[in-house]
Amino acid sequence: MTGTALQNKAKPLLDGTLQLEVTSVSAQTDSITSITFGGALGELLPSYVPGSHLVVQYGTGANAYSLTGSGSAPTEYSISVLRIENGAGGSLAMHALCVGDLVQVSHPRSAFAPAATASHHLLIAAGIGITPVLSHARYAAEWGASASLIYVHRPGTGAHVAEARQLLGPGLTECLDRSSFQEVLTRQLTTQQLGTHLYVCGPNAFMDSVLKQARDLGWPKSLLHSEAFSGAALDDGEPFEVRLARSKVTLNVPAGVSLLGTLENAGLTVPNMCRKGICGECAVPVLRGEPLHRDLYLTDQEKDDNTTMMCCVSRSLGQELELDL
Amino acid sequence: MRTASQSPATGAGCEPGFRGVICVSFATTDALQDHDTGGMPRHDLRFAAATPEAIANLRSVLGHSRVGVRVVLAGPPADVHAAASVAAECGLVDEEMTLVCDEVGPRVIFCGHCHTSTTTDHPIGTNVDCQGCGTTLIFTDHFSRRVGGYLGFSAHAEEAA
Ligand code: FES
Ligand SMILES: [Zn+2]
Repeated sequence: MTGTALQNKAKPLLDGTLQLEVTSVSAQTDSITSITFGGALGELLPSYVPGSHLVVQYGTGANAYSLTGSGSAPTEYSISVLRIENGAGGSLAMHALCVGDLVQVSHPRSAFAPAATASHHLLIAAGIGITPVLSHARYAAEWGASASLIYVHRPGTGAHVAEARQLLGPGLTECLDRSSFQEVLTRQLTTQQLGTHLYVCGPNAFMDSVLKQARDLGWPKSLLHSEAFSGAALDDGEPFEVRLARSKVTLNVPAGVSLLGTLENAGLTVPNMCRKGICGECAVPVLRGEPLHRDLYLTDQEKDDNTTMMCCVSRSLGQELELDL
Repeated sequence: MRTASQSPATGAGCEPGFRGVICVSFATTDALQDHDTGGMPRHDLRFAAATPEAIANLRSVLGHSRVGVRVVLAGPPADVHAAASVAAECGLVDEEMTLVCDEVGPRVIFCGHCHTSTTTDHPIGTNVDCQGCGTTLIFTDHFSRRVGGYLGFSAHAEEAA
């Protein structure tokens, strides 16, 4: 297993990675730092859809971070990173960056885009979940779209608070504790004009609770959008069976073991790098069944197509999947 | 709190912020008489047809409604589909709308060639001449909510090719 990982380490992170320079580092709060990357000549970088993320390579790993800009004609890419002391090291590596350091980053990937048809954008963020939502807010302000934001943060620990206030004015509701948030949420979920789309980002339990309440209050699924944190702990998942069409074998994927791990245990070599659903290396073709997509790599459209899946994190919705392996 | 109008002669306002079920009946349909709203408050509207006034009325009711509302449209297909297309414009998605079309009644065929709408009483699967370009159109049950009509294609496309 380590052999596979090592072997892949030398490969470029993604097709068309960009080498950028750290152009500024600034502390947002005690534990959140904003880092800006730019080209050597300050040239225009590829534009991105609001809510996109960037995969940043560090040492032997890679992490995905939400871009906080609006995405239109950027000359810089900005991310804000929460330091996680006992994490896999990505956030500490980001916090160690200094102006002038060179980093390899992917092209921005979009998996949390604003709906073009929305009559209003209701943004909901908790903690560091503000980052993709700030991108939406900037975009809305730039293009005159209607948007409001509920931002839950503890006093003194909220990142980008001043910008959120400036961008949204009265459209911003700040909640400093759980019970005030609950009150605001219930009110807002029951008073939105038709065609409002909801976007939520924050800890998994927070997002699950917001989405469930919205569903219970009659919100159709197609109006709900959520963005999981990169590196957020994924649950063990349900066991399922995977049929490999070409090798004509069926394997059991137990709860707590990844599909990638199962394939490797069975002696298959599957290219991989990040092993957490962000680099795109471990894509496998799906012939039958419906994957439970848990990666940050595939776009929403690609996820809906159900023809490819990231086997390091994604599982199966049904009891069986068939792969073209 | 229920303001469901029991005499559904007009589209008179429902309470602002309504999140129940809006039951819209066109012409003489009684399909929604016993419609089960699953315990949600109900607001009835009845119109003779999807006239501009009826549509304006529906728009205003939808404008006062909030996400969580459901709309059920019943009656002749042409009216139901005209109303569905307006509801979609107002921001309603498929999951929020139920269409209950009369088995018979006029349908709107949208010409795939010149984009003119032609109303016909012919059943699905038959031909109709486009009022815009005169092409003989065949229409199947391919309904487009976006244009509020069935898509019609030249019945002789294969022969011409
Ligand atoms: S290994 Fe990176 S997405 Fe699976
Ligand atoms: Zn025509």
